[in-house]
Amino acid sequence: MLPTDVDLDLLKDFLVESRDCITGSEAALLALEHTPDDMEAVNTVFRAFHTVKGTSAFIGLARMTAFAHEAESLLSRVRDREIAYTKACATLSLRSVDMLKALLDAVEETLRADGPGGALDRPDGYQALIDALVGYDGSAAAPALPAAAAAAPAADDEQGPQAERRQGDRRQGDRRQGDRRQGGNEADQFLRVRTDRLDRLIDMVGELVIAQSMISGDERLAGAARGQGATGAHHELTKKITHAGKIVRELQDLSMSMRMVPLKGTFQKLTRLVRDVAAKLGKDVEFVTEGEDTEIDRNMVDVVGDPLVHMVRNAIDHGVEGPEDRLRAGKARQGRVKLSAYQAGGSVIVELQDDGKGLHRDKIARKAIERGLIESDRGMTDSEVFQLIFAPGFSTAEKITDVSGRGVGMDVVKRNIESVRGRVEIASEPGKGTTFYVRLPLTLAVTDGMLVRVGAERYVVPTTNIHMSFRPERAMLQTVGGRGEVVTLRGEVMPVVRLHRLFNVAGAEEDPTQALLMIVGDGHQRRTALLVDELLGQSQVVAKSLGDGIGAVGGIAGGAILGDGRVGLILDVGDIVALAQSGEATAERPETRRAVA
Amino acid sequence: MSTATPTPAAQDRGGKFLTFYLADEEYGVEILKVQEIIGMQPITRVPRTPAFIRGVINLRGKVIPIMDLRERFGMESAEAALQGASEADVQAAEAVRCIIVVQVVNPAGQAVPVGIVVDRVSEVSSIGGGEIEDAPSFGSGVRTEYLLGLGKAQGRVKLLLDIDRVLAADELEQLAESESVDAAA
Repeated sequence: MLPTDVDLDLLKDFLVESRDCITGSEAALLALEHTPDDMEAVNTVFRAFHTVKGTSAFIGLARMTAFAHEAESLLSRVRDREIAYTKACATLSLRSVDMLKALLDAVEETLRADGPGGALDRPDGYQALIDALVGYDGSAAAPALPAAAAAAPAADDEQGPQAERRQGDRRQGDRRQGDRRQGGNEADQFLRVRTDRLDRLIDMVGELVIAQSMISGDERLAGAARGQGATGAHHELTKKITHAGKIVRELQDLSMSMRMVPLKGTFQKLTRLVRDVAAKLGKDVEFVTEGEDTEIDRNMVDVVGDPLVHMVRNAIDHGVEGPEDRLRAGKARQGRVKLSAYQAGGSVIVELQDDGKGLHRDKIARKAIERGLIESDRGMTDSEVFQLIFAPGFSTAEKITDVSGRGVGMDVVKRNIESVRGRVEIASEPGKGTTFYVRLPLTLAVTDGMLVRVGAERYVVPTTNIHMSFRPERAMLQTVGGRGEVVTLRGEVMPVVRLHRLFNVAGAEEDPTQALLMIVGDGHQRRTALLVDELLGQSQVVAKSLGDGIGAVGGIAGGAILGDGRVGLILDVGDIVALAQSGEATAERPETRRAVA
Repeated sequence: MSTATPTPAAQDRGGKFLTFYLADEEYGVEILKVQEIIGMQPITRVPRTPAFIRGVINLRGKVIPIMDLRERFGMESAEAALQGASEADVQAAEAVRCIIVVQVVNPAGQAVPVGIVVDRVSEVSSIGGGEIEDAPSFGSGVRTEYLLGLGKAQGRVKLLLDIDRVLAADELEQLAESESVDAAA
């Protein structure tokens, strides 16, 4: 039971701290598998268990203290060279880590549901694992795990994804903290900072950049410099301003980089996953990671973590063959899964490569036809066929296992990655293996947009929503039902939305042939043509909310500070199309779209 | 109203108020609610919002909404009031118009900055609880629920605003609804 008099703040700190310790110890345990003599790693794990034991005793979590004590005892015997760090010992230690996580989860759960005084659940397999820890004699034989303990990992796998996801959040956020534990002497190199303060700092630096460019672009300065032939006092001033500008730009780069974190934490989690999944499926897999120092936006780490878990599971389950099959196919007995990350052209690419059996085009096509996803694969490129595995409900697994094959995976993978404006591509060769390329934007904070003018107002249209823009000819335009307008472009009929009418902007161009039509769509809806006066150019903007005082505004996704320091509104294209089709700008199909509240 | 004795609650209402003008009326907001006063600047209009939301501005990297109190209280707009005035008068009026950024508490209990456009800022005055009286109900104009009370200082009456209520989001929504109904009618 949770002590009734527990200090809640203390307990929360304890949960965070303990998770950090455990994350650090897990990484050390995995490293130990390769270098069983690394006493520093043993110490790291020992210290982690010891810390958990000490603090949990202080708080009054008796069960966790007892468990941490047993786990710690095992490690202390390894440290004292009483027993060797064998595979069996490693498995026990890793299980202890999982058990501690489960115990922490139980505390968190109880804290949330019942508050202090609530009863704590005893995780499955708890007693069996204690017995195994106590009974472990260091013999090289298989661990003396009773049946119940052997069953524990299966149960654990069921909860695995959720537990890991929860864990993942913390792990990413507090990854640096975890590093600190491992590094020991690097304690002062990292500082935890509240994200809202960091965001505010980035905002302020953005403002500084604008203010700086206003000064350097000031007409008086430019004019005076010209008038004076770039000599004298103004020349000096210009030099100083340029110097300040350099500093400001450097500051901007620095502030943007603060949101970036290396993929190391995510990769570490996957290393553990590969080990567990491969063991379970009886496959021998070597997992190689590369470029784990590649950095991506902190917020993106959480979003791509789950898809990667899924893809790695799939690669081992469906990709890599069992040892016998591999030998028969003339391959090395040990399969190889390689995860690498690198930057290329303004994106980060995470590449997952296996040397397994590869994707079979015909098999996928057959299945897709069976499921009614396509009529025939004729005229489709290999890559288009491979993309079909991302369709909802598509799964090529012949038998459903609890590792993968529930058919809910790949479409979620794709959706998650697309939610952060990323893309997945597949290359595969039968018999040789498959490579997944996940392309991610460097940062979430910046939206690529096109600045358009409507009357005196300016709006930002996200580039991902824009298909093209053109100036229509009279013959392309038609009125439907006396009110709705449509434009026909290469045989496609699209409703026209007059943005100035929808947003009630005065002074905009009324004649479409003198203005521009921008074809937009968010992928799910019918493409729509927005009438705007002109394009002002491309811009990268930082999307911000309009402030709590206003709340959600139909058709507007948010605001952005433009180059001149004023606020520009970012359009929500999906919403605009829905708004327009609710009957305001096109009376053509009013019944098909949702009404706007 | 001069005979009304202040209730104990009224005592608590005393404090320092930043006062400002809308037309000829002097209003006050608690000084603790005021974040800063900034000059008038270009406001980005936000479509499909009620008329008293003038739009948004960039306050040092943060986007904040700007409300028009004249519109909120159903007063003649500042532009309309200046119609027919000489150019010098218009310029003078525009020079003193400014935005008071106040921290209002939203329903979630967080303080959020909102700008209010006022004709001109007057002064900071200390008004004791004893000098504040409950607002009588007016026939029209400012709704009394927006008022903390009426403050008397230097022989003048100041309308002390309960700014959280003036700018409360649910109020805004209700108003937006009623306005859109009006517009549809």
